[in-house]
Amino acid sequence: MSRLAILTFCAGLLIAGTATAKPGDAAKGKEIYDKRCTWCHGADGDGAGAAKELLNPPPRDFTSGNYKIKSSSFEDMVPNDDDIYRMIRDGMPGTAMPGWSDILKEQDMWNLVAYVKTFAGYDEPPAAQVDFGKQVASSGESIAKGRKLYEEGDRCVECHGKSGKGSASKRLKGDAGERTWPRNLTKPWTFIGSSEPKDIFARLSTGIAGTEMPSFADPRSKKKLSIEERWHVANYVASLAKTGRKVDAENTVIKADKVEGDLPGAPDDARWEKSTPTTFYLVPQLIAEERYFKPSNDTITVRALYNDKAVAMLLEWDDRTRSVPGDEAAEKLADAPIAEDGVAVQLPVTIPKGMEKPYFGMGDAKHPVNIWHWQSGAKDATESMGLANSRGFREIEKRDAVVAGLKANASYSDGTWKVLITRPLTTSSPDKDIQFAEGKFIPVAFAAWDGSNNSEKGSKHTMTTWYWLLLKPATGTRPLVAALMVMGLLAGGLLWWARSAKPAA
Amino acid sequence: MTMTQKRRIPRLLQFALVVFGVYFGFILVFDVLLGQLIPRSLLTMYMVFVVSGALMTFTFTEEGAQELVAPIKALVEDPSRRRLRNAVFVMVPLLAGYYTYTSMLPGYEAPVELRTIHPAPPSKFKAYGKSYNLATLENPYRKYQKQDPAKYRELVKAGGDVYIKNCQYCHGDKLDGKGPYAAGLNPTPINFQDVGTIAQLQESFLFWRIATGGPGLPAEAAPWISSMPVWEHFLTEKETWEVILFLYDYTGRQPRSWK
Repeated sequence: MSRLAILTFCAGLLIAGTATAKPGDAAKGKEIYDKRCTWCHGADGDGAGAAKELLNPPPRDFTSGNYKIKSSSFEDMVPNDDDIYRMIRDGMPGTAMPGWSDILKEQDMWNLVAYVKTFAGYDEPPAAQVDFGKQVASSGESIAKGRKLYEEGDRCVECHGKSGKGSASKRLKGDAGERTWPRNLTKPWTFIGSSEPKDIFARLSTGIAGTEMPSFADPRSKKKLSIEERWHVANYVASLAKTGRKVDAENTVIKADKVEGDLPGAPDDARWEKSTPTTFYLVPQLIAEERYFKPSNDTITVRALYNDKAVAMLLEWDDRTRSVPGDEAAEKLADAPIAEDGVAVQLPVTIPKGMEKPYFGMGDAKHPVNIWHWQSGAKDATESMGLANSRGFREIEKRDAVVAGLKANASYSDGTWKVLITRPLTTSSPDKDIQFAEGKFIPVAFAAWDGSNNSEKGSKHTMTTWYWLLLKPATGTRPLVAALMVMGLLAGGLLWWARSAKPAA
Repeated sequence: MTMTQKRRIPRLLQFALVVFGVYFGFILVFDVLLGQLIPRSLLTMYMVFVVSGALMTFTFTEEGAQELVAPIKALVEDPSRRRLRNAVFVMVPLLAGYYTYTSMLPGYEAPVELRTIHPAPPSKFKAYGKSYNLATLENPYRKYQKQDPAKYRELVKAGGDVYIKNCQYCHGDKLDGKGPYAAGLNPTPINFQDVGTIAQLQESFLFWRIATGGPGLPAEAAPWISSMPVWEHFLTEKETWEVILFLYDYTGRQPRSWK
């Protein structure tokens, strides 16, 4: 390939990445807005669409003039047309705003930009832009500098926590009084303006309008950062986003390795590091009253190990608040009334032989499920491990977790719960408890409660659909024996052929 | 004679080229171009036909068959190819042993579960405390589309509000089945923009699917994994018909009708 071709290709990539502003026609934009956008953003652009109360973050109120994701200077509220265009084209991950480029033509989107700006009366372009200076490439050194700046004087730690998971030390709110959560920086898929260092740099420089995220370019700020320093912090934040706890849609099986001797008894046992984590999306419970609309967490990571006596599952999920009913500090952070945090594992009482499983929402009349329900406890109550059998939402039978041999051991640290649940492979009530067996694909589902986020009703939780748990069977000697036999037979046959062949004339 | 003969690709190589060409052709067309992975078992079956078909063609004449096996025979019989022969004789059993070993290892892949996406509807079903006959059930508000367009627009707007408050979480703002929580669901939510969904169905079918939700599906459609709520618990009968009007209006599709 010629150099020219490479150059053209690179230039093409650049152009594809940024939008070139085109004049839009606000009147034409209104037609599209009235069909596509009013449902959330309201006919008057004030964010008061039908779904306003059911979304977090709520739909943007364009009349406020606040644009969260922009590249104009923090001193100027007006965004660039490109900024609005990008949000319409690509959508905002972690929110209900989709990207529209598959339905709308490019000019339609520019027309929308023109119309949306009229709600705040923006008719002049911004006076100043973010000064990106010279980008500092990510390196171990830059990341280390960024980390120091991130932690120094609690600059970022105050809201985002030391681990970046947004473990709250204060309650945040948006300009309309709505609750906002500090971004969990270890979950790049929830960054509404992308997790590229350049975008993180822009957020650090402009702040996020309408939220408590300030500009670190503002010279009046006690926590201000120079351009170079902001690049270091951006590189550090981008490095936090590289985690092994990302959902792999292809992987729906939790694979439990067999261990010799005892199972790990604590969540921080080093042996967990060696077991394979599997991460699933948690979605809010929307199938039964009362429904849960504004979840604060979207994934759960599961590891499992077993020995010849028991199976152990380590459940790990991010929760910005440790919810302790009765504790004053915890109650200040919570949406009253505060409830306990919790997690549950759902398993069929009988491992299905065919495809037919219990209904994923707590089983059904014909197919009961076991529910192992751990709760974090209150100021004057310790954590608890519960067991129930249910045949649907309404038919729940509470049972004795101790008799079934269920044990839990939990830890909370810097925005993450880890709960280890252990149960013997078999119990004395095989008609009521699942009996684990190796090599079988066992349906399993999970649920999690954030007691500081409207989880006072048991039905208000996040959950998964059915996935699989597999106690990995030992490989055994059969594959090796078979392979050796095949090799022997083939080699023998070939030798016999070679010996019996006549040399060519 | 041999001087004038054109240089040809050796017959054995031709055979190998045909077999591998077809194999990679399948992969290219299905996996790459169409984005539809061919199941391994199906591909194996196809390839058995391809190999046997190619063998029949290549050994159709006596000379052809001779020519095909000549290089293999030469490998064994020609003393000058001894080194190559020894190498092949070591490699072939090793490869076969490796293949046997890996194919006999226990599998950790999730079981494949096939379900019917559009199951045949029952003739009757119960919802909202009454029984509906699917063959005669019609959207009672559809008539306003012609009779009273202003009233029809109101009904569609009301349906849109129902949709955005209840359905978009999974089916998406764009009705494309890619709502904010769609990635956490299996099976994934239906895409109403797709020509293969609501445009192929009568409104009564949609009413049945919405009112009775996942648990109302017949067994072949795997009701136990469908995340579709039982909407008769949340929406009134009127709201259900309104949201159906909205689905067709927004996507610009028409319900299927026997008239």
